[in-house]
Parts: sequence; C-alpha cells; structure tokens
Amino acid sequence: MLRIENLTKRFGEKTAVDNLSLHIAPGEIYGFIGHNGAGKTTAIKSVVGIQQFDSGDIFINGTSILQDPLACKKQLAYIPDNPDLYDFMTGIKYLNFIADVFAVSPEVRQERIREYAGRFELTSDLAQPIATYSHGMKQKLALISAWLHDPKLIIMDEPFVGLDPKAAHLLKQMMREVCDNGGAIFFSTHVLEVAEKLCDKVAIIKQGKLIKSGTMEDVKGDDSLEEVFLELEADNA
Amino acid sequence: MLKFLLKKQLMEIFRMYFYDAKKNRARSKGSIIAFFALFVIIMVGLLGGMFAFLSSVLCEPLTTAGMGWLYFVIMGGLAILLGIFGSVFNTYSGLYRAKDNDLLLSMPIPINEIMIARLLGVYLMGLMYSGVVIIPAIIVYWITVPVTFANVVGCLVLLVLISVFVLVLSCLIGWIVAKLSAHLKSKAIITTLIAILFIVAYYVFYFAAVEAIEDLINNAALYGGQIKDAAYGLYLFGSIGEGNWFAMLLFSAIVAAMFFVMWYVMHKSFLNIVTSTPQAKKAVYREKTAKQNSAFIALVKKELARFTSNSSYMLNCGLGILMLPLCTILLVINAGTFMPVVDQVFGAQSGIAVVLLCSGLCMLASMNDIAAPSVSFEGKSLWIARSLPVTSWQILRAKAWLQLLLTGIPMLLCAVCLVFILQVDALQAILFVVACLACVALFALWDLFLGVRMANLNWTNEITPLKQSGNILLAIFGSGFYAIAIGALYLWQGYNIGPVMYLTACIAVTAILSAFFYLWLKSRGVRLLEAL
Repeated sequence: MLRIENLTKRFGEKTAVDNLSLHIAPGEIYGFIGHNGAGKTTAIKSVVGIQQFDSGDIFINGTSILQDPLACKKQLAYIPDNPDLYDFMTGIKYLNFIADVFAVSPEVRQERIREYAGRFELTSDLAQPIATYSHGMKQKLALISAWLHDPKLIIMDEPFVGLDPKAAHLLKQMMREVCDNGGAIFFSTHVLEVAEKLCDKVAIIKQGKLIKSGTMEDVKGDDSLEEVFLELEADNA
Repeated sequence: MLKFLLKKQLMEIFRMYFYDAKKNRARSKGSIIAFFALFVIIMVGLLGGMFAFLSSVLCEPLTTAGMGWLYFVIMGGLAILLGIFGSVFNTYSGLYRAKDNDLLLSMPIPINEIMIARLLGVYLMGLMYSGVVIIPAIIVYWITVPVTFANVVGCLVLLVLISVFVLVLSCLIGWIVAKLSAHLKSKAIITTLIAILFIVAYYVFYFAAVEAIEDLINNAALYGGQIKDAAYGLYLFGSIGEGNWFAMLLFSAIVAAMFFVMWYVMHKSFLNIVTSTPQAKKAVYREKTAKQNSAFIALVKKELARFTSNSSYMLNCGLGILMLPLCTILLVINAGTFMPVVDQVFGAQSGIAVVLLCSGLCMLASMNDIAAPSVSFEGKSLWIARSLPVTSWQILRAKAWLQLLLTGIPMLLCAVCLVFILQVDALQAILFVVACLACVALFALWDLFLGVRMANLNWTNEITPLKQSGNILLAIFGSGFYAIAIGALYLWQGYNIGPVMYLTACIAVTAILSAFFYLWLKSRGVRLLEAL
C-alpha cells in the first residue's frame, strides 16, 4: 500500500529525515513514533506530497508520488497535527468542497456525511462557520473529510490530540474498520499506550533515522512499548 | 514587559521590510533599503507630493489674506479624513482580532500594556496617512511665512493633536464595529456596505472640496469671516498652526480628554470584546443534496467564499467591482456633458474618447487585486489544497479566475454600455471592449504573479497580507500605472497612429505581457507554490 524508499530530506545543514525506508501493507495500522523534532512530521508531509524531498521515493499502491502525485493523492487522506481548516467556510461547505475535489457523488457524500457526522456528534454544528469550532471539533471535521472519499490509505499526524475520549475511541474503531476493508493507516503519535494497543506494526525514528521497526511483538518483545522506546532513545543518545 | 510588547508590535508592522517570509530569513541590507525606498517614494513622493502641491496652491493666498488659520482648518481636516480613511478598515481587526490575543492574555501581562501595544499599531497607521497631508502642509507654511518660535511649536502641536484625534476616532469606529460584530450574522457584508458608504461620502466630499477650495481662494475674506463667526472652534483649531497659545492649550486639553474617555471605554470593554464569541443565532443544519462541482469549480468557489467572508479583503481588493458599474452609470447619465468636453479639450487628438475611456475603465479595474493576497491568505491551511488531488497550477488558476470573473464580467458590461455613448464604428467598438478585457486578464495574472513571488504564509493578523505586504502595493500601483499609461501615451504620441492602430498595439502588448506572466505562473509559479 505504502512504500517509502530511502527517503532523505534536509533543511540546510540539518538532515530531518535520513534514508528512511518503510513498507505498510494493506490491512495494517502502522504507528510512527519518535521524540519531538525526530522527523515524523517531515516524513509524513513528504509521503502525502506536500513536502519536497532530496532523495528517495515514495510509492502508493505502486505509483510514485514523484511521477504521478495526483494519482497518489486520490488514494489517500491526510490529517495534519494541527487541523488549520478554512475558517471562512461552514463545516458542511468544507465537506462539500472536499467531496467535489474527490468527485464524490452527491448521494454518496450525503450518506457518508450523515453517517460520520452522526458518529462524531457534529451534525448540528455543520452549518456553523469553522471559525467558531473548538480544536476538537475541527479535528472531528478533518476526520470526517478524510473518510469522506473512502481512501485506501489514511495518513495522520497525532490524530488523537484534542479529541474527547468518546471521539478517540470512535477513531480507533474507524481505523480498524478501514484496515478490515483492505485499507491501511499510517499515523504518528506520542501516546505509546495507544500505539501499543492499536498498531499492528510500529517504526521508531530518532534524529531522522529509523532505529527500529516491525510488528509490535518484534519491536517490544515482552516489555512495554514505553520501556523499549525509552531504552532505544537512551542507546542512541 | 511593555517594551517587549511594543517591540513585538513594531516588528509585526514592519516585518516585511526586514524579514523574507518566503526564504524564512532576514532580508539583506540592500533589500531593506530598497523596500524602505519604495515606501518613501509612494508615501512621500506620490501622496506627499500631491498634498504638497495642494498646500502650495492654498497657502500663499490664504496667509496673505491673513487667513492662515483657514489654511490649517482645510489641511487639518483633510489630514483627519485621510488618517481615518487609512486606518479605519484595520482598526477592528488590529485592536481586537489579532491572532496572538489568546497567547498574550494567557501570560502575566497587564491588559493595559496589551492595549497600548495594539493602539501603537493603529496610531502609526493613522499617523502615516494623516502625516502625508499635514507634514507637507506644515513645511509649505514654514516656507511661505516667516518662521517663529510660536508657529513652529503650534505646527508640531497640531501634528500631534491630529494624529491623536485620528487615533481616537478610529478606535471609536473600531469599537462600534466590535459591538455590532458581536450581534450580526452577515457581518462581513454589513461591514463592507458601511465602509462603502463611508468611501462614497469621502469621495463626494473630495469632489465637492475641489470646487469649494477654488471658490474659497477667490472669496477667502468673506468665507473666513463667516466661519470665524459661525464656528469659532474651527477658527481656534486652525490658529494652532499659526502659534495661538490659547488654542494650543484648549485643543490639547480637549483631545487629551477625548483620549482618556476613549481609553476608559476601551479599558472597560477590551477584555470582554477580545474574549467574546459572536452571539449570533446558531445556524441550523438542514440536510440537503449538494450539487456536484468539478475540482476546479470547487477551488474557485472556495476562493469566492474566502473573499466574501472578509470585509477587509473585499474593501481593499475588490472596490473595482462596485466602481466599474457606478462610474459607468454616471458616465452614461452625463454623456451629454462629458463627450463634448472631451472633444473640446482633446479635439486635436482624434479618437481620444475611446482611448481615454479604455484607460479610465482599466484604472477602475486596477482597483481589484483579489489575486495578490490570495496565496498569502492560504496561511497555515495551505496543506489542504496541497494534499488534495489537484495540481498546483489548478490552485493558482482558481485564484486568477476569481479575479478574472469578478472584474471581467462588470468590465464587459460596462465596456459594452460605453460603446453606445462613444458612437464609434464597429471595429473601434470591438477593439475598445477587447482592450479593456485584455487589461483585466493582465492585471489578474500580474497580481497573482506578485502573490506567488511575495507570498507570506506566516501572519498573525489578516492585515499583514492585506495592508502590510509589498505585493499589494505593487499590484495596485503596477496595474494603475499601466492603465494610466494607456491614456497618457496616446495623448503624447499615440494619436499620430489613430485609435484603431493604437488600441491594436495596446491589445498586442497586453497579450504579450499576459502570456509572459501566464507562462511564468505555469512553470516557476507552480514550483514556488510547491516550495512554500
């Protein structure tokens, strides 16, 4: 589903992502963890085609993001760490805008908006301007917009930040549903407990370099993910 | 703390001069000097020069007639009007809607200090606009009459009083807008309408003032006496500049009192306004089947939604939409007067009317620079468009298209209407309409070119991309000069080749320039957008 090959991104002298390679298969929830400034967001932005990178390549269902970015973007949805949405639109206008761009038919979008807005309890606020939304409401709207076009691959940067417990639980359910239907999820998080319980595979990144990756069992063994993470951080200090 | 806040406010106001947001680094010394030089040329050279000329026309006859006070009443009045005109559109957002409000309020900073920092921004904006009127007026006065200690002090006091008075009035208007905004639903549209009324009143006053000034110079003694008798306060206000100590003290006390009242009102309401959420009735969501649009139409509609949701954006970048039909209607109504005057004045240059009208319409179209701040407006939400399955070229094209549509449609209607009063043959009529539309296309591409070249995504207040960005300034002046050049070059030499050849040449030049910017945007512009 997603193949990152030798991805390298530099900002001047600093190498933010250093020769990163990952493979996310259909049906997998893949966690991406690392300390602040480790290069997670840079890598994610490169994957979704909004950050140019220096070398390597990224393939989504076999299509290179460098060769055919549009074909790749059609198959994925992205939610950034801070969902700065179009404040000047109402929630429903934003969803219709996204649906238009992804050519979701009026009937299908209506059905999906009804379903997801209902699940996130956002229906009654859809006519309100996004400017009046709280951080959590914006996050919910961003999630609905991501699910609106039924993407094969969903890439999220810290998706649980700002969500209430009920919405966070719902998101975990929805992530699992995507994977059960043959899709894949790649997301970054600082909440190791969530990663441990939710992810099929995990990758740990430090100073732009991949220091460990694999199935949850391979990475953590009998320890907790937190212990392994802190140990790896210390080892590579 | 106050020192830090003032420094932060000044850094925000003058950020574009020192910091290149696109390259994310400080500007070079040469670049800083060039930016300041451009600012000085426009504010001091153009605006200041215009008011220096007006001052030189008024000063000598009025001071010779012993009416120096009347000179200061006129110039002071103009300074106050321009000062308010320049700052009023930013006062509300500058004072109450800065994006760092929450951050500053959460820190142990006294509210007074935040208010002072915000007021500094409003004051500097008002001072800048009122200063370009009153400072040349003062200099011309000092050149015309003998300089004394009293009139030097008086003029300086007048400058300070005017700038503080402008601040007080701007704050009052900002406060009213804030109060209204809390209860209005379609506040962007209502604010825009109120502001347009204000602008219309300003221009009505301006045109009436031109006639009145001429009349005033011829009858200075008569009017001076009447004003002095009927409005003694105005006399005293004007005599500040002449060095009247009593007037200085009196008006200093009045303006100080007004300032403290404004401060008291703001102090009482500032926190409430800044932290309040609009109390407009919650819109009820009713599910309905949406009409499906193509990705490109969706992008254009998104740009339109941004434009119509922001009164500052509409006022600063879309006045041409209103001015084009307004001026056309006025021209059509007054065609019987206008056309003979043009023939009489420019009789020697055949076909001047068609070229002058083309130039005039293009001038009005140049007031629309919707595309110029549109890239900067993406701000932190640029990720949305970039992560969608649309090309960067589609994103840029949608921005240009909005300006093309909002300017091109009124331009087409106006140009076709004016064809009837021009009474020219079919070829000239077609060339006139095509030339006007070609300029609309060029201006949209030029504005977008500047928008991409000088994009600034890191702003905390929407005033920054609208008012404190070099691209807006260049967009307005660049297209404005182009429009003026169409008329001026014809008057200079163009009439020798006649209107048909001249308009054809204009269309050709405009098309070549448009093609250049189009190709630039499609290649380099796209790359620049992707690198933002």
